[in-house]
Amino acid sequence: METSNKKAMFFGKVTASVTHEIQNVLAIIKETSGLMEDFILMHKTNQVPDFDSKLDKCLETLKKQAYRGVSLTSNLNGFAHTPDNIQSAIDICETTKKLISITDRLFKQKNVSVEVCECTASCSITTDPVIFQMILFSCIECMIDTFQIQQLMVNIHPKENTIGICFSIGDENFQYPDFKEKIMQSSHWSKITDLCEQINFTAGMTPGSPKIFILVG
Amino acid sequence: MSNQNIKILLIDDELEFISTLSERLELRGYTSKIAQDGETGITMIENETFDVAIIDLMMPGLNGLDTLRHIKNTNNALPVILLTGHGSTKDGMEGMRIGAFDFLMKPLDINELLKKIKLAVDQTPKG
Repeated sequence: METSNKKAMFFGKVTASVTHEIQNVLAIIKETSGLMEDFILMHKTNQVPDFDSKLDKCLETLKKQAYRGVSLTSNLNGFAHTPDNIQSAIDICETTKKLISITDRLFKQKNVSVEVCECTASCSITTDPVIFQMILFSCIECMIDTFQIQQLMVNIHPKENTIGICFSIGDENFQYPDFKEKIMQSSHWSKITDLCEQINFTAGMTPGSPKIFILVG
Repeated sequence: MSNQNIKILLIDDELEFISTLSERLELRGYTSKIAQDGETGITMIENETFDVAIIDLMMPGLNGLDTLRHIKNTNNALPVILLTGHGSTKDGMEGMRIGAFDFLMKPLDINELLKKIKLAVDQTPKG
């Protein structure tokens, strides 16, 4: 499959997930405003017990969902602009966090929470931003689809001339003797190595521990 | 059947959505209960009698279609209305093929939902 098709499929998958979540936000806003309407109509004919506190609770929900919606659409907008330039300077930590925030629902469907550990230093690189995000997404999918895990940690380590992005299983007691073989057999792994080749990144596995990593730069 | 006698189970991982919808249904005289995942919903159906189940298609763990399949295998008479946040009707149609009574798009129109609930209850043979 051509890279442009793969990019389109990746965009489709991510945007479908975010728009589904936006529909949920709108559904909550619609039901909550409907509930307020119900209370107001009832209050005109009968005294509704705790009327003010019921309306306050609804307003809190509306505010919370409005913030959630703004965060989703802002991150989606940022994501939609990533193909604007074939090459652009990106902050690896920020891009990783934003990608995970908009793809979170896809991983939660598989009962997995993905967490990005706090970055200790600024890590910037000039690269193809879409392929970079496709690599991140594929690494997460690779770990989740290959192993029955509940938590995945993403660590970003800047080192002299390179930056390492490490994907590890949250459970420290997790042991998988065939880890390397399982990863190598995964269809995601060949996709990851192909994508890395296109932007001169290196994909690898840490010997002795269930981690995969990407070396950038 | 009057609203007072209709017991509805709402299954969706969006707690604020189902709790608000549940409150609106209760204000209209229905009895409703909520479950935040398919597994919990199935257990509730096994232990209590409901007249209608309303299930979101996209949930973590057991998704809406898998939950529906399980319900149809164990309690075929219970009418199920599916909710979908997708723009297309594809998953809703698939749900109807499996045995859902109908499906609705999110965000919901409460009056549309009430009509579907009434139809579902009226058209289900009483055991």
